[in-house]
Amino acid sequence: MLVDNEQILEALWETLYMTGVAFLFSLIIGFILGLLLVVTRKGHLLENEPVSKVLNVIINIFRSVPFIILMVAIIPLTRIIVGTSIGTAAAIVPLVFYAGPYIARLIENSLLEVDEGVIEAAQAMGASPFQIVFRFLIPEALSSLVLALTIAIVGLIGASAMAGAIGGGGLGDLAITYGYQRFDTLVMVVTVAILVVLVQGVQSGGNLLSRRVRRR
Amino acid sequence: MIQFEGVTKTYQSGKQEIHALNGIDLTVETGEIFGVIGFSGAGKSSLIRTVNLLERPSSGHVLIDGKDISTLSAREIRKTRKDIGMIFQHFNLLNSKTVFHNVAMPLILANTPKNKIKEQVKELLDFVGLSDQATKYPDQLSGGQKQRIGIARALATNPSVLLCDEATSALDPQTTQSILELLRRINREYNITILLITHEMGVIREICDKVAVLEAGKVIEQGTVFDVFTNPQQQTTQRFVRSVMNDELPESLLKQIQNPSRKNSIYRIQFTGTSVGQPLMSRISRKYQLDLNVLFGNITELQGAPYGNLIVEFTGPAEEIKKALADIREGNVNVEEVLNYAS
Ligand SMILES: Nc1ncnc2c1ncn2[C@@H]1O[C@H](COP(=O)(O)OP(=O)(O)OP(=O)(O)O)[C@@H](O)[C@H]1O
Ligand SMILES: [Mg+2]
Repeated sequence: MLVDNEQILEALWETLYMTGVAFLFSLIIGFILGLLLVVTRKGHLLENEPVSKVLNVIINIFRSVPFIILMVAIIPLTRIIVGTSIGTAAAIVPLVFYAGPYIARLIENSLLEVDEGVIEAAQAMGASPFQIVFRFLIPEALSSLVLALTIAIVGLIGASAMAGAIGGGGLGDLAITYGYQRFDTLVMVVTVAILVVLVQGVQSGGNLLSRRVRRR
Repeated sequence: MIQFEGVTKTYQSGKQEIHALNGIDLTVETGEIFGVIGFSGAGKSSLIRTVNLLERPSSGHVLIDGKDISTLSAREIRKTRKDIGMIFQHFNLLNSKTVFHNVAMPLILANTPKNKIKEQVKELLDFVGLSDQATKYPDQLSGGQKQRIGIARALATNPSVLLCDEATSALDPQTTQSILELLRRINREYNITILLITHEMGVIREICDKVAVLEAGKVIEQGTVFDVFTNPQQQTTQRFVRSVMNDELPESLLKQIQNPSRKNSIYRIQFTGTSVGQPLMSRISRKYQLDLNVLFGNITELQGAPYGNLIVEFTGPAEEIKKALADIREGNVNVEEVLNYAS
Protein backbone atom coordinates (compact mmCIF):
# COMPACT_ATOMS: atom_id res chain seq x y z
CA MET A 1 0.00 0.00 0.00
CA LEU A 2 1.37 3.39 -0.99
CA VAL A 3 -0.14 5.17 1.99
CA ASP A 4 0.22 4.63 5.73
CA ASN A 5 -2.42 4.58 8.43
CA GLU A 6 -1.74 8.14 9.38
CA GLN A 7 -2.54 9.35 5.88
CA ILE A 8 -5.79 7.40 5.93
CA LEU A 9 -6.76 8.81 9.30
CA GLU A 10 -5.99 12.30 8.12
CA ALA A 11 -8.08 11.80 5.01
CA LEU A 12 -10.92 10.49 7.13
CA TRP A 13 -10.66 13.53 9.35
CA GLU A 14 -10.70 15.83 6.32
CA THR A 15 -13.82 14.12 5.01
CA LEU A 16 -15.54 14.40 8.36
CA TYR A 17 -14.50 18.01 8.73
CA MET A 18 -15.64 19.04 5.26
CA THR A 19 -18.90 17.18 5.55
CA GLY A 20 -19.61 18.38 9.07
CA VAL A 21 -18.91 22.05 8.54
CA ALA A 22 -20.58 22.10 5.15
CA PHE A 23 -23.61 20.38 6.63
CA LEU A 24 -23.94 22.92 9.40
CA PHE A 25 -23.89 25.86 7.02
CA SER A 26 -26.11 24.18 4.45
CA LEU A 27 -28.55 23.27 7.17
CA ILE A 28 -28.89 26.89 8.23
CA ILE A 29 -29.30 28.10 4.66
CA GLY A 30 -31.46 25.16 3.63
CA PHE A 31 -33.69 25.52 6.64
CA ILE A 32 -34.37 29.18 6.00
CA LEU A 33 -34.93 28.66 2.28
CA GLY A 34 -37.02 25.53 2.78
CA LEU A 35 -39.22 27.22 5.33
CA LEU A 36 -39.65 30.22 3.05
CA LEU A 37 -40.50 27.93 0.15
CA VAL A 38 -43.31 26.44 2.20
CA VAL A 39 -44.84 29.48 3.87
CA THR A 40 -44.78 31.68 0.77
CA ARG A 41 -46.69 29.08 -1.22
CA LYS A 42 -50.16 29.84 -2.49
CA GLY A 43 -52.66 29.59 0.31
CA HIS A 44 -50.00 29.16 2.98
CA LEU A 45 -49.19 31.20 6.08
CA LEU A 46 -47.34 34.05 4.41
CA GLU A 47 -48.39 33.63 0.80
CA ASN A 48 -46.10 35.68 -1.42
CA GLU A 49 -45.93 34.82 -5.08
CA PRO A 50 -42.90 36.95 -6.10
CA VAL A 51 -40.72 35.63 -3.26
CA SER A 52 -41.84 32.09 -3.92
CA LYS A 53 -41.11 32.33 -7.66
CA VAL A 54 -37.67 33.89 -7.22
CA LEU A 55 -36.66 31.33 -4.59
CA ASN A 56 -37.76 28.47 -6.78
CA VAL A 57 -35.80 29.71 -9.77
CA ILE A 58 -32.61 30.30 -7.77
CA ILE A 59 -32.79 26.93 -6.07
CA ASN A 60 -33.46 25.15 -9.33
CA ILE A 61 -30.45 26.81 -10.95
CA PHE A 62 -28.11 25.62 -8.19
CA ARG A 63 -29.71 22.20 -8.17
CA SER A 64 -29.14 21.75 -11.89
CA VAL A 65 -25.39 22.42 -11.87
CA PRO A 66 -23.30 19.27 -11.31
CA PHE A 67 -21.11 19.58 -8.25
CA ILE A 68 -17.82 19.22 -10.10
CA ILE A 69 -18.75 22.18 -12.32
CA LEU A 70 -20.20 24.21 -9.46
CA MET A 71 -16.91 23.81 -7.63
CA VAL A 72 -14.96 25.39 -10.45
CA ALA A 73 -17.60 27.93 -11.38
CA ILE A 74 -17.68 29.61 -7.99
CA ILE A 75 -13.94 29.73 -7.44
CA PRO A 76 -13.90 33.58 -7.43
CA LEU A 77 -16.58 33.59 -4.79
CA THR A 78 -14.71 30.99 -2.76
CA ARG A 79 -11.65 33.18 -2.87
CA ILE A 80 -13.63 36.12 -1.51
CA ILE A 81 -15.14 34.06 1.29
CA VAL A 82 -12.18 32.01 2.58
CA GLY A 83 -9.28 33.89 1.03
CA THR A 84 -8.08 30.97 -1.07
CA SER A 85 -9.53 28.66 -3.68
CA ILE A 86 -7.49 25.63 -2.69
CA GLY A 87 -7.66 23.32 0.32
CA THR A 88 -10.17 21.80 2.66
CA ALA A 89 -11.71 25.10 3.77
CA ALA A 90 -12.07 26.18 0.16
CA ALA A 91 -13.89 22.96 -0.64
CA ILE A 92 -16.52 23.71 1.98
CA VAL A 93 -17.84 26.73 0.07
CA PRO A 94 -19.00 24.86 -3.03
CA LEU A 95 -20.27 22.06 -0.80
CA VAL A 96 -22.54 24.54 0.94
CA PHE A 97 -23.75 25.94 -2.37
CA TYR A 98 -24.44 22.41 -3.45
CA ALA A 99 -26.13 21.09 -0.32
CA GLY A 100 -27.97 24.25 0.82
CA PRO A 101 -30.50 24.30 -2.02
CA TYR A 102 -30.75 20.52 -1.86
CA ILE A 103 -31.59 20.63 1.85
CA ALA A 104 -34.06 23.45 1.16
CA ARG A 105 -35.96 21.13 -1.16
CA LEU A 106 -35.80 18.24 1.30
CA ILE A 107 -37.10 20.42 4.12
CA GLU A 108 -39.81 21.83 1.88
CA ASN A 109 -40.92 18.29 1.12
CA SER A 110 -41.01 17.21 4.74
CA LEU A 111 -42.93 20.26 5.89
CA LEU A 112 -45.46 19.85 3.10
CA GLU A 113 -46.21 16.36 4.35
CA VAL A 114 -47.74 17.79 7.51
CA ASP A 115 -51.52 17.49 7.42
CA GLU A 116 -53.10 20.79 6.42
CA GLY A 117 -55.73 20.16 9.08
CA VAL A 118 -53.10 20.55 11.78
CA ILE A 119 -52.18 23.99 10.48
CA GLU A 120 -55.84 24.85 10.30
CA ALA A 121 -56.37 23.78 13.90
CA ALA A 122 -53.38 25.90 14.89
CA GLN A 123 -54.82 28.93 13.11
CA ALA A 124 -58.23 28.30 14.65
CA MET A 125 -56.72 28.40 18.14
CA GLY A 126 -55.16 31.77 17.41
CA ALA A 127 -51.53 30.75 16.88
CA SER A 128 -49.23 33.28 15.22
CA PRO A 129 -47.33 32.26 12.06
CA PHE A 130 -44.17 31.91 14.17
CA GLN A 131 -45.96 29.66 16.65
CA ILE A 132 -47.50 27.62 13.86
CA VAL A 133 -44.07 26.94 12.36
CA PHE A 134 -42.25 26.12 15.57
CA ARG A 135 -45.03 24.58 17.66
CA PHE A 136 -46.94 22.67 15.00
CA LEU A 137 -45.24 22.38 11.63
CA ILE A 138 -41.71 21.44 12.71
CA PRO A 139 -42.62 19.09 15.59
CA GLU A 140 -45.04 17.24 13.33
CA ALA A 141 -42.45 16.99 10.55
CA LEU A 142 -39.45 16.32 12.78
CA SER A 143 -39.21 12.60 12.20
CA SER A 144 -39.38 13.04 8.45
CA LEU A 145 -36.98 16.01 8.64
CA VAL A 146 -34.37 13.85 10.36
CA LEU A 147 -34.57 11.25 7.62
CA ALA A 148 -34.33 13.91 4.95
CA LEU A 149 -31.26 15.44 6.56
CA THR A 150 -29.70 12.00 6.79
CA ILE A 151 -30.02 11.76 3.03
CA ALA A 152 -28.40 15.17 2.75
CA ILE A 153 -25.42 14.11 4.88
CA VAL A 154 -24.87 11.01 2.79
CA GLY A 155 -25.04 13.19 -0.31
CA LEU A 156 -22.48 15.54 1.21
CA ILE A 157 -20.07 12.70 2.00
CA GLY A 158 -20.32 11.67 -1.63
CA ALA A 159 -19.81 15.20 -2.93
CA SER A 160 -16.87 15.81 -0.61
CA ALA A 161 -15.03 12.97 -2.34
CA MET A 162 -14.79 15.22 -5.36
CA ALA A 163 -13.23 18.01 -3.36
CA GLY A 164 -9.83 16.54 -4.19
CA ALA A 165 -10.13 18.28 -7.51
CA ILE A 166 -9.41 21.57 -5.78
CA GLY A 167 -7.04 20.12 -3.22
CA GLY A 168 -9.67 19.56 -0.61
CA GLY A 169 -8.25 16.27 0.49
CA GLY A 170 -10.37 13.61 2.12
CA LEU A 171 -10.99 9.95 1.47
CA GLY A 172 -12.18 10.50 -2.08
CA ASP A 173 -9.01 12.34 -2.94
CA LEU A 174 -6.95 9.52 -1.49
CA ALA A 175 -8.82 6.92 -3.49
CA ILE A 176 -8.37 8.83 -6.73
CA THR A 177 -4.71 9.77 -6.32
CA TYR A 178 -3.43 6.46 -5.02
CA GLY A 179 -6.08 3.93 -5.82
CA TYR A 180 -6.95 5.05 -9.32
CA GLN A 181 -4.04 7.05 -10.71
CA ARG A 182 -1.33 4.87 -9.15
CA PHE A 183 -3.18 1.59 -9.41
CA ASP A 184 -3.01 0.78 -5.70
CA THR A 185 -6.07 -1.40 -5.43
CA LEU A 186 -5.68 -1.83 -1.71
CA VAL A 187 -5.94 1.90 -1.04
CA MET A 188 -9.02 1.95 -3.21
CA VAL A 189 -10.59 -0.92 -1.30
CA VAL A 190 -9.73 0.52 2.10
CA THR A 191 -11.08 4.00 1.40
CA VAL A 192 -14.23 2.66 -0.18
CA ALA A 193 -14.71 0.38 2.82
CA ILE A 194 -14.35 3.31 5.19
CA LEU A 195 -16.85 5.33 3.15
CA VAL A 196 -19.29 2.44 3.17
CA VAL A 197 -19.03 2.12 6.94
CA LEU A 198 -19.40 5.87 7.31
CA VAL A 199 -22.55 6.02 5.21
CA GLN A 200 -24.01 2.99 6.94
CA GLY A 201 -23.33 4.59 10.31
CA VAL A 202 -24.91 7.88 9.32
CA GLN A 203 -27.98 6.14 7.90
CA SER A 204 -28.49 3.93 10.95
CA GLY A 205 -28.02 6.89 13.23
CA GLY A 206 -30.53 8.87 11.22
CA ASN A 207 -33.07 6.07 11.29
CA LEU A 208 -32.70 5.68 15.02
CA LEU A 209 -32.98 9.39 15.72
CA SER A 210 -35.98 9.69 13.41
CA ARG A 211 -37.78 6.97 15.37
CA ARG A 212 -36.84 8.63 18.65
CA VAL A 213 -38.27 12.03 17.71
CA ARG A 214 -41.47 10.67 16.19
CA ARG A 215 -43.08 10.95 19.60
CA ARG A 216 -41.92 13.31 22.23
CA MET B 1 -74.37 36.22 18.92
CA ILE B 2 -73.10 35.48 15.42
CA GLN B 3 -74.66 37.30 12.49
CA PHE B 4 -74.07 36.63 8.83
CA GLU B 5 -75.05 39.55 6.65
CA GLY B 6 -75.08 38.96 2.92
CA VAL B 7 -72.00 36.76 3.13
CA THR B 8 -70.65 35.52 -0.17
CA LYS B 9 -67.57 33.46 -0.93
CA THR B 10 -66.14 32.99 -4.38
CA TYR B 11 -63.18 30.71 -5.00
CA GLN B 12 -60.91 31.13 -7.94
CA SER B 13 -60.10 27.74 -9.36
CA GLY B 14 -57.88 28.34 -12.37
CA LYS B 15 -59.96 30.47 -14.72
CA GLN B 16 -63.18 29.25 -13.16
CA GLU B 17 -65.05 31.03 -10.41
CA ILE B 18 -66.81 28.87 -7.84
CA HIS B 19 -69.57 30.61 -5.94
CA ALA B 20 -69.55 28.65 -2.70
CA LEU B 21 -71.72 31.10 -0.75
CA ASN B 22 -74.32 33.32 -2.41
CA GLY B 23 -75.56 35.83 0.13
CA ILE B 24 -76.02 34.20 3.51
CA ASP B 25 -78.17 35.91 6.12
CA LEU B 26 -78.32 34.06 9.41
CA THR B 27 -78.40 34.88 13.09
CA VAL B 28 -77.12 32.51 15.74
CA GLU B 29 -78.30 33.61 19.16
CA THR B 30 -76.07 33.36 22.20
CA GLY B 31 -76.42 30.08 24.03
CA GLU B 32 -78.18 28.12 21.32
CA ILE B 33 -77.11 25.14 19.29
CA PHE B 34 -77.50 26.09 15.67
CA GLY B 35 -77.16 23.47 12.97
CA VAL B 36 -76.49 23.99 9.29
CA ILE B 37 -77.29 21.06 7.06
CA GLY B 38 -76.67 20.57 3.39
CA PHE B 39 -75.47 18.08 0.83
CA SER B 40 -71.84 17.81 -0.12
CA GLY B 41 -70.61 20.96 -1.82
CA ALA B 42 -73.48 23.08 -0.50
CA GLY B 43 -70.97 25.44 1.11
CA LYS B 44 -71.21 24.35 4.74
CA SER B 45 -67.48 24.31 5.45
CA SER B 46 -67.01 27.60 3.67
CA LEU B 47 -69.75 29.09 5.83
CA ILE B 48 -68.48 27.91 9.20
CA ARG B 49 -64.91 28.89 8.32
CA THR B 50 -65.89 32.51 7.77
CA VAL B 51 -66.73 32.75 11.47
CA ASN B 52 -63.10 32.48 12.58
CA LEU B 53 -61.79 33.86 9.31
CA LEU B 54 -60.12 30.66 8.20
CA GLU B 55 -61.92 31.81 5.09
CA ARG B 56 -62.46 35.48 4.37
CA PRO B 57 -65.89 36.35 2.94
CA SER B 58 -65.67 37.76 -0.58
CA SER B 59 -68.37 40.22 0.41
CA GLY B 60 -70.79 40.74 3.25
CA HIS B 61 -70.10 40.72 6.96
CA VAL B 62 -69.81 38.30 9.82
CA LEU B 63 -70.54 39.98 13.13
CA ILE B 64 -69.64 38.44 16.44
CA ASP B 65 -71.41 40.16 19.29
CA GLY B 66 -71.97 43.03 16.92
CA LYS B 67 -68.36 43.39 15.84
CA ASP B 68 -67.41 42.92 12.21
CA ILE B 69 -64.45 40.54 12.40
CA SER B 70 -63.13 41.21 8.90
CA THR B 71 -62.08 44.72 9.99
CA LEU B 72 -59.80 43.38 12.72
CA SER B 73 -56.01 43.41 12.56
CA ALA B 74 -54.08 40.14 12.42
CA ARG B 75 -53.37 40.38 16.14
CA GLU B 76 -57.00 41.08 17.01
CA ILE B 77 -58.10 38.19 14.81
CA ARG B 78 -55.84 35.85 16.77
CA LYS B 79 -57.33 37.16 19.99
CA THR B 80 -60.86 36.67 18.70
CA ARG B 81 -60.01 33.14 17.59
CA LYS B 82 -59.08 32.27 21.16
CA ASP B 83 -62.67 32.97 22.05
CA ILE B 84 -63.94 30.65 19.31
CA GLY B 85 -63.17 26.96 19.73
CA MET B 86 -63.28 24.69 16.72
CA ILE B 87 -63.44 20.95 16.25
CA PHE B 88 -62.97 19.08 13.02
CA GLN B 89 -64.15 16.01 11.17
CA HIS B 90 -60.65 14.54 11.16
CA PHE B 91 -59.75 15.87 14.62
CA ASN B 92 -56.51 17.53 13.44
CA LEU B 93 -54.48 16.57 16.49
CA LEU B 94 -50.70 16.63 16.68
CA ASN B 95 -49.59 13.03 16.25
CA SER B 96 -46.13 13.76 17.60
CA LYS B 97 -47.49 14.97 20.94
CA THR B 98 -49.22 13.29 23.84
CA VAL B 99 -52.87 13.76 24.66
CA PHE B 100 -51.81 16.02 27.49
CA HIS B 101 -49.66 18.17 25.22
CA ASN B 102 -52.41 18.39 22.60
CA VAL B 103 -54.93 19.70 25.08
CA ALA B 104 -52.33 21.99 26.63
CA MET B 105 -51.41 23.53 23.28
CA PRO B 106 -53.74 26.55 23.36
CA LEU B 107 -52.53 27.30 26.89
CA ILE B 108 -48.88 26.96 25.88
CA LEU B 109 -49.51 29.42 23.05
CA ALA B 110 -50.91 31.85 25.60
CA ASN B 111 -47.82 31.46 27.83
CA THR B 112 -49.82 30.05 30.72
CA PRO B 113 -47.64 29.05 33.70
CA LYS B 114 -46.78 25.33 33.79
CA ASN B 115 -48.57 24.43 37.01
CA LYS B 116 -51.69 26.20 35.82
CA ILE B 117 -51.57 24.28 32.53
CA LYS B 118 -51.33 21.01 34.43
CA GLU B 119 -54.32 21.87 36.54
CA GLN B 120 -56.47 23.02 33.64
CA VAL B 121 -55.62 20.13 31.35
CA LYS B 122 -56.49 17.70 34.09
CA GLU B 123 -59.83 19.40 34.52
CA LEU B 124 -60.52 19.36 30.78
CA LEU B 125 -59.58 15.69 30.44
CA ASP B 126 -61.85 14.91 33.37
CA PHE B 127 -64.67 16.75 31.70
CA VAL B 128 -64.38 14.77 28.47
CA GLY B 129 -63.83 11.55 30.40
CA LEU B 130 -60.27 10.80 29.33
CA SER B 131 -58.20 11.60 32.39
CA ASP B 132 -56.55 8.18 32.19
CA GLN B 133 -55.26 8.72 28.65
CA ALA B 134 -53.08 11.77 29.23
CA THR B 135 -49.78 10.09 28.35
CA LYS B 136 -51.07 8.32 25.24
CA TYR B 137 -50.56 9.49 21.68
CA PRO B 138 -53.46 10.27 19.34
CA ASP B 139 -52.82 7.25 17.11
CA GLN B 140 -53.37 5.01 20.13
CA LEU B 141 -56.92 6.30 20.56
CA SER B 142 -60.26 5.54 18.91
CA GLY B 143 -62.05 8.09 16.76
CA GLY B 144 -64.44 9.00 19.53
CA GLN B 145 -61.60 9.48 21.98
CA LYS B 146 -59.73 11.64 19.48
CA GLN B 147 -62.76 13.85 19.07
CA ARG B 148 -63.00 14.17 22.84
CA ILE B 149 -59.39 15.34 22.85
CA GLY B 150 -60.29 17.79 20.10
CA ILE B 151 -63.16 19.05 22.21
CA ALA B 152 -61.00 19.37 25.33
CA ARG B 153 -58.44 21.31 23.29
CA ALA B 154 -61.12 23.59 21.88
CA LEU B 155 -62.41 24.33 25.37
CA ALA B 156 -58.98 25.08 26.82
CA THR B 157 -59.20 28.80 26.15
CA ASN B 158 -62.68 29.09 27.65
CA PRO B 159 -64.35 30.11 24.40
CA SER B 160 -67.87 31.48 24.20
CA VAL B 161 -68.48 29.89 20.80
CA LEU B 162 -67.75 26.39 19.56
CA LEU B 163 -67.63 25.64 15.83
CA CYS B 164 -68.10 22.02 14.80
CA ASP B 165 -67.18 21.13 11.23
CA GLU B 166 -68.75 17.70 10.66
CA ALA B 167 -67.52 16.70 14.10
CA THR B 168 -69.25 13.33 14.09
CA SER B 169 -69.11 12.43 10.41
CA ALA B 170 -66.12 10.12 10.84
CA LEU B 171 -67.69 8.29 13.79
CA ASP B 172 -70.01 5.32 14.14
CA PRO B 173 -73.61 5.93 15.30
CA GLN B 174 -72.97 4.98 18.91
CA THR B 175 -69.88 7.15 19.24
CA THR B 176 -71.74 9.93 17.47
CA GLN B 177 -74.40 9.76 20.17
CA SER B 178 -71.87 10.09 22.96
CA ILE B 179 -70.10 13.01 21.30
CA LEU B 180 -73.42 14.76 20.73
CA GLU B 181 -74.28 14.27 24.38
CA LEU B 182 -70.95 15.82 25.31
CA LEU B 183 -71.65 18.80 23.03
CA ARG B 184 -75.02 19.27 24.65
CA ARG B 185 -73.42 19.23 28.08
CA ILE B 186 -70.94 21.87 26.95
CA ASN B 187 -73.81 24.00 25.72
CA ARG B 188 -75.83 23.60 28.92
CA GLU B 189 -73.08 23.69 31.54
CA TYR B 190 -70.89 26.43 30.09
CA ASN B 191 -73.54 28.23 28.06
CA ILE B 192 -71.33 28.01 25.00
CA THR B 193 -72.98 28.88 21.71
CA ILE B 194 -72.53 26.02 19.25
CA LEU B 195 -72.59 26.37 15.49
CA LEU B 196 -72.34 23.00 13.82
CA ILE B 197 -72.50 21.84 10.24
CA THR B 198 -73.43 18.37 9.17
CA HIS B 199 -74.96 16.38 6.38
CA GLU B 200 -76.75 14.11 8.85
CA MET B 201 -80.26 15.13 9.80
CA GLY B 202 -79.97 12.83 12.84
CA VAL B 203 -77.39 15.16 14.35
CA ILE B 204 -79.70 18.14 13.89
CA ARG B 205 -82.64 16.27 15.40
CA GLU B 206 -80.54 15.13 18.34
CA ILE B 207 -79.12 18.38 19.67
CA CYS B 208 -79.94 21.48 17.65
CA ASP B 209 -82.34 24.21 18.68
CA LYS B 210 -82.41 25.80 15.25
CA VAL B 211 -81.50 24.65 11.82
CA ALA B 212 -80.74 26.21 8.47
CA VAL B 213 -80.74 24.24 5.25
CA LEU B 214 -78.01 25.19 2.83
CA GLU B 215 -78.20 24.50 -0.86
CA ALA B 216 -75.88 25.83 -3.56
CA GLY B 217 -74.56 28.48 -1.20
CA LYS B 218 -77.98 29.76 -0.17
CA VAL B 219 -80.09 29.27 2.93
CA ILE B 220 -83.25 27.78 1.48
CA GLU B 221 -85.05 27.22 4.76
CA GLN B 222 -84.48 27.93 8.43
CA GLY B 223 -86.30 27.87 11.70
CA THR B 224 -86.59 25.95 14.93
CA VAL B 225 -85.83 22.28 14.61
CA PHE B 226 -89.41 21.51 15.55
CA ASP B 227 -90.93 23.68 12.87
CA VAL B 228 -88.59 22.54 10.16
CA PHE B 229 -89.03 18.88 11.02
CA THR B 230 -92.77 18.96 11.35
CA ASN B 231 -93.42 21.22 8.42
CA PRO B 232 -90.59 21.22 5.91
CA GLN B 233 -91.26 23.52 2.97
CA GLN B 234 -88.50 22.91 0.46
CA GLN B 235 -87.95 19.67 -1.35
CA THR B 236 -84.37 19.34 -0.11
CA THR B 237 -85.54 19.90 3.43
CA GLN B 238 -88.23 17.28 3.00
CA ARG B 239 -85.63 14.83 1.80
CA PHE B 240 -83.47 15.49 4.84
CA VAL B 241 -86.40 15.22 7.22
CA ARG B 242 -87.57 12.00 5.61
CA SER B 243 -84.08 10.54 6.01
CA VAL B 244 -84.60 10.37 9.76
CA MET B 245 -88.31 10.70 10.43
CA ASN B 246 -89.50 7.66 8.53
CA ASP B 247 -92.98 9.07 8.11
CA GLU B 248 -93.53 7.88 4.61
CA LEU B 249 -96.97 6.43 4.11
CA PRO B 250 -97.33 2.88 2.87
CA GLU B 251 -98.21 2.46 -0.79
CA SER B 252 -101.66 1.00 -0.11
CA LEU B 253 -102.54 3.92 2.12
CA LEU B 254 -101.48 6.39 -0.51
CA LYS B 255 -103.77 4.69 -3.01
CA GLN B 256 -106.62 4.92 -0.54
CA ILE B 257 -106.03 8.61 0.06
CA GLN B 258 -105.72 9.40 -3.59
CA ASN B 259 -108.80 7.38 -4.57
CA PRO B 260 -111.14 9.92 -6.25
CA SER B 261 -114.28 8.15 -5.06
CA ARG B 262 -113.28 8.36 -1.41
CA LYS B 263 -116.06 9.77 0.77
CA ASN B 264 -114.54 10.19 4.20
CA SER B 265 -112.10 12.92 5.09
CA ILE B 266 -108.58 11.98 6.05
CA TYR B 267 -106.54 14.18 8.34
CA ARG B 268 -102.96 14.34 9.42
CA ILE B 269 -102.59 14.98 13.13
CA GLN B 270 -99.21 16.02 14.51
CA PHE B 271 -98.60 16.19 18.23
CA THR B 272 -95.78 16.24 20.75
CA GLY B 273 -95.57 14.44 24.06
CA THR B 274 -96.50 10.83 24.72
CA SER B 275 -99.63 11.54 26.65
CA VAL B 276 -101.28 13.45 23.86
CA GLY B 277 -102.03 11.07 21.02
CA GLN B 278 -104.02 8.11 22.21
CA PRO B 279 -106.20 9.80 24.87
CA LEU B 280 -107.00 12.58 22.44
CA MET B 281 -108.30 10.15 19.85
CA SER B 282 -110.58 8.31 22.19
CA ARG B 283 -111.84 11.49 23.83
CA ILE B 284 -112.70 13.10 20.50
CA SER B 285 -114.29 9.94 19.27
CA ARG B 286 -116.54 9.69 22.32
CA LYS B 287 -117.36 13.36 22.61
CA TYR B 288 -118.43 13.87 18.99
CA GLN B 289 -119.70 10.37 18.29
CA LEU B 290 -117.26 9.95 15.43
CA ASP B 291 -115.63 6.91 13.99
CA LEU B 292 -111.90 7.51 14.01
CA ASN B 293 -109.83 5.11 12.03
CA VAL B 294 -106.08 5.48 12.47
CA LEU B 295 -104.62 4.51 9.09
CA PHE B 296 -101.02 5.21 9.93
CA GLY B 297 -99.06 6.43 12.88
CA ASN B 298 -95.56 6.80 14.16
CA ILE B 299 -93.70 8.49 16.93
CA THR B 300 -90.17 9.84 16.72
CA GLU B 301 -88.13 11.79 19.16
CA LEU B 302 -87.57 15.44 18.40
CA GLN B 303 -85.45 17.65 20.64
CA GLY B 304 -85.83 15.19 23.45
CA ALA B 305 -89.62 15.06 23.24
CA PRO B 306 -91.70 12.47 21.41
CA TYR B 307 -93.32 13.72 18.25
CA GLY B 308 -96.27 11.87 16.82
CA ASN B 309 -97.73 11.79 13.38
CA LEU B 310 -101.11 10.17 12.76
CA ILE B 311 -103.12 9.77 9.60
CA VAL B 312 -106.76 9.41 10.67
CA GLU B 313 -109.94 8.79 8.75
CA PHE B 314 -112.96 10.62 10.22
CA THR B 315 -116.40 9.13 9.68
CA GLY B 316 -119.52 10.94 10.88
CA PRO B 317 -121.67 14.03 10.34
CA ALA B 318 -119.72 16.88 8.74
CA GLU B 319 -120.91 19.28 11.43
CA GLU B 320 -119.49 17.14 14.22
CA ILE B 321 -116.19 16.62 12.38
CA LYS B 322 -115.79 20.35 12.10
CA LYS B 323 -116.35 20.77 15.82
CA ALA B 324 -114.00 17.94 16.60
CA LEU B 325 -111.24 19.49 14.50
CA ALA B 326 -111.64 22.82 16.25
CA ASP B 327 -111.43 20.99 19.57
CA ILE B 328 -108.25 19.19 18.56
CA ARG B 329 -106.64 22.44 17.49
CA GLU B 330 -107.28 23.85 20.96
CA GLY B 331 -104.40 21.80 22.32
CA ASN B 332 -100.90 22.09 20.92
CA VAL B 333 -101.90 19.79 18.10
CA ASN B 334 -101.73 20.41 14.41
CA VAL B 335 -104.44 19.03 12.13
CA GLU B 336 -104.66 19.31 8.42
CA GLU B 337 -106.70 17.56 5.82
CA VAL B 338 -104.77 15.25 3.60
CA LEU B 339 -106.19 15.65 0.14
CA ASN B 340 -103.34 14.46 -1.88
CA TYR B 341 -100.42 13.20 0.03
CA ALA B 342 -97.65 13.85 -2.40
CA SER B 343 -94.43 12.12 -1.55
N1 LIG C 1 -60.20 26.33 -1.45
C1 LIG C 1 -61.11 26.12 -2.43
N2 LIG C 1 -60.80 26.41 -3.71
C2 LIG C 1 -61.71 26.21 -4.69
N3 LIG C 1 -62.94 25.75 -4.50
C3 LIG C 1 -63.32 25.44 -3.25
C4 LIG C 1 -62.42 25.61 -2.14
N4 LIG C 1 -63.06 25.23 -1.01
C5 LIG C 1 -64.28 24.84 -1.40
N5 LIG C 1 -64.45 24.98 -2.74
C6 LIG C 1 -65.68 24.69 -3.49
O1 LIG C 1 -66.74 25.41 -2.92
C7 LIG C 1 -67.92 24.63 -2.87
C8 LIG C 1 -68.41 24.52 -1.45
O2 LIG C 1 -67.45 23.81 -0.69
P1 LIG C 1 -67.61 23.48 0.85
O3 LIG C 1 -66.39 22.75 1.26
O4 LIG C 1 -67.95 24.72 1.57
O5 LIG C 1 -68.86 22.51 0.84
P2 LIG C 1 -69.41 21.56 1.98
O6 LIG C 1 -70.86 21.83 2.07
O7 LIG C 1 -68.60 21.71 3.21
O8 LIG C 1 -69.20 20.13 1.36
P3 LIG C 1 -68.75 18.77 2.06
O9 LIG C 1 -69.95 18.22 2.75
O10 LIG C 1 -68.34 17.93 0.90
O11 LIG C 1 -67.62 19.08 2.98
C9 LIG C 1 -67.57 23.30 -3.51
O12 LIG C 1 -67.99 23.34 -4.86
C10 LIG C 1 -66.09 23.24 -3.41
O13 LIG C 1 -65.56 22.50 -4.47
MG1 LIG D 1 -67.24 20.42 4.33
